[in-house]
Amino acid sequence: MSASYAAVGWNRQKKIYDWLIFGFCILYLTTFISFTAIFNPEYTFETVLIRSASTLAVLMLHVILSIGPLSRINKKFLPLLYNRRHLGVTMFCIILVHSVFSIMQFHSLSNVNPFVSLFTSNTHFGSLADFPFQALGFFALIIFFLMAITSHDFWLHNLSPKVWKTLHMFVYLAYFLVVMHVMLGVIQYETNPAFIVIIVVGAVTLITLHLIAGTREVRKDNIVYKLNQDGFVMVCDVNDIIEDRAKVFCIDEERIAVFKTQGKLFAVNNVCKHQNGPIGEGKIVDGCITCPWHGYQYLPNNGQSPPPFKEKVCTYDVKLQDTKVWLNPKPYSEGTERPGAVIEM
Amino acid sequence: MKNEEFYIGWIGSAPDSFAAFIKKYILLLLLIVIVLGVLLSLSQKKFGTGNFEFGTLTQVKGIYFNKPVPNIKVINGKDIWGNANYITVPLIGFGKHGADGTIADIEKEKNISLNGKEVTLKGTLLYNDGKLLMQVDANDQPLVNAASATISADLLPKQKDLGVLDVKGEIVDPKCFFGVMKPGEGKPHKDCAIRCILGGIPPLLKVTDNERKQNYYLIVGPNGEKLNEAVQDFVATPVVLHAKAVKYDDWIVLYVNADNGIQHYSSIKDHYGSLYASCAADCLK
Ligand code: HEM
Ligand code: FES
Repeated sequence: MSASYAAVGWNRQKKIYDWLIFGFCILYLTTFISFTAIFNPEYTFETVLIRSASTLAVLMLHVILSIGPLSRINKKFLPLLYNRRHLGVTMFCIILVHSVFSIMQFHSLSNVNPFVSLFTSNTHFGSLADFPFQALGFFALIIFFLMAITSHDFWLHNLSPKVWKTLHMFVYLAYFLVVMHVMLGVIQYETNPAFIVIIVVGAVTLITLHLIAGTREVRKDNIVYKLNQDGFVMVCDVNDIIEDRAKVFCIDEERIAVFKTQGKLFAVNNVCKHQNGPIGEGKIVDGCITCPWHGYQYLPNNGQSPPPFKEKVCTYDVKLQDTKVWLNPKPYSEGTERPGAVIEM
Repeated sequence: MKNEEFYIGWIGSAPDSFAAFIKKYILLLLLIVIVLGVLLSLSQKKFGTGNFEFGTLTQVKGIYFNKPVPNIKVINGKDIWGNANYITVPLIGFGKHGADGTIADIEKEKNISLNGKEVTLKGTLLYNDGKLLMQVDANDQPLVNAASATISADLLPKQKDLGVLDVKGEIVDPKCFFGVMKPGEGKPHKDCAIRCILGGIPPLLKVTDNERKQNYYLIVGPNGEKLNEAVQDFVATPVVLHAKAVKYDDWIVLYVNADNGIQHYSSIKDHYGSLYASCAADCLK
């Protein structure tokens, strides 16, 4: 959280995560390079490096982009989300190898600057078959670069979560650029259909996962709560909420989480200040609401992060009639103390 | 999910059910990584047999000619009919540059003209498919020796007019194509081929016949002038050349009029190596 970004703690889970990333990368690269060397012995080192790095990075990109929807579909994927940025930064480093070697191989030692060459050698921007596919890779690389250098929470706070999130949504544009970079590049040259099949399977998988996760959210958001009294809306029965957990209700396009803990109900805004994680899917741990994505914490009664942290979310009024929970969707300003509703036993 | 089980990243370990689940997913990823590594590496087209003797300098003795492209004609004994056995070795420069600059510098420095003289050059060889080329780099002090007199007329290149031809193929740069890069042709290599040709390496038309055998034609302008800039838009893409062809010893030279002698030969199919890919591209279009 805001005060902790000076020192990133490397706990056991993070270490395991990083070692796994490292191990998988080495495994892929050695597999690709050694199989190429054995079965295609006329290879050149530069080409096999360019190709093993690029294909590894694209594989990682698919893993990265699927973590979001997977962990919405099944909470058990959440441990992958916690350190997703490490995966992202590693992927950037690997694709940087591809890009630098490609620029050296295809553009250096010529009569113009390599970056000038990148945009002026092939100028068929109006043709699909002849399109300068390398420029697409370059723009994708710029997006990955910006994401990698701003991946630290320091930037999240300095750019504001909104700007940061927007920047990181450009990953989808980058993905599209990469697909076109491959379709208009090597796929025109290679004769084996495996390449195009893999790219298509990858894209279809990602789109399907996003659609499944998205429709679930939309379905939840579209539930209409009818009973309305003095601005309060009846949302559920108190027994529907598990102790130390919450249920999320979308009223007037605002998602609100109602937590039940120690004989009381509290309502806070569902959107985490860190990276818009779903607070309502979190749990009360040591008296604090804990976000399921990266563990940011908020006090249930006032929506404030415990000191020294400074994050605050909006709070709402909630009341009980018999066993029915009534919620007022009018937000109090962030960090406002609310009494909550006492559950009569 | 049981209420107690909640994953928090900053705590040292994940709840058992999460750990067990993630382990399974990691095993799946392990499988994917290995399968993709094997599949993708094996799906690559076979690399060419070209060779670039990077780091090895070889001295070659032959007769230097600056036309149709800078080259040396290396004579090696006589064949059974008593004709000279020879191979014409086009010269290219360092990196993505032609040899013209290096040769011109040598001629200026030594104040001689090398054309038609026997010379010994030191450079890096590259070869494939029966063709031999040599890189001459000013840093390697390429000129070892040059005769002062021009050679006798019977050693001049034998020229034979082959008439006007229409040939379909791909313009490549011979340096990358014959050895420096793999692949040194096609779309992935397009930018580099353009760079090499704009840098002065003579453009070459690669033609594949029905038996998948390849023939090569050097491309120059109608009067034998360099045609490098004019072909920029036609490199590494299917083209048809309409030109006067002349056999020049063991190379064929096409005298191409850039205004009307080069045409794109464009059907999507010709831009793709794989039928599936060309179908997909058709859909996309
Ligand atoms: C400045 C940036 C880049 C340049 C100059 C560049 C250049 C190239 C070139 C020349 C090829 C064809 C290489 C070959 O002959 O096999 C290629 C292929 C490829 N590129 Fe890039 N690229 C860049 C960025 C990227 C990025 C950011 C990605 C994806 C994350 C990417 C993914 C790929 C893939 C998957 C292939 C096909 C496999 C291969 O041939 O390596 N490239 N790129
Ligand atoms: S989104 Fe990161 S902790 Fe909530």
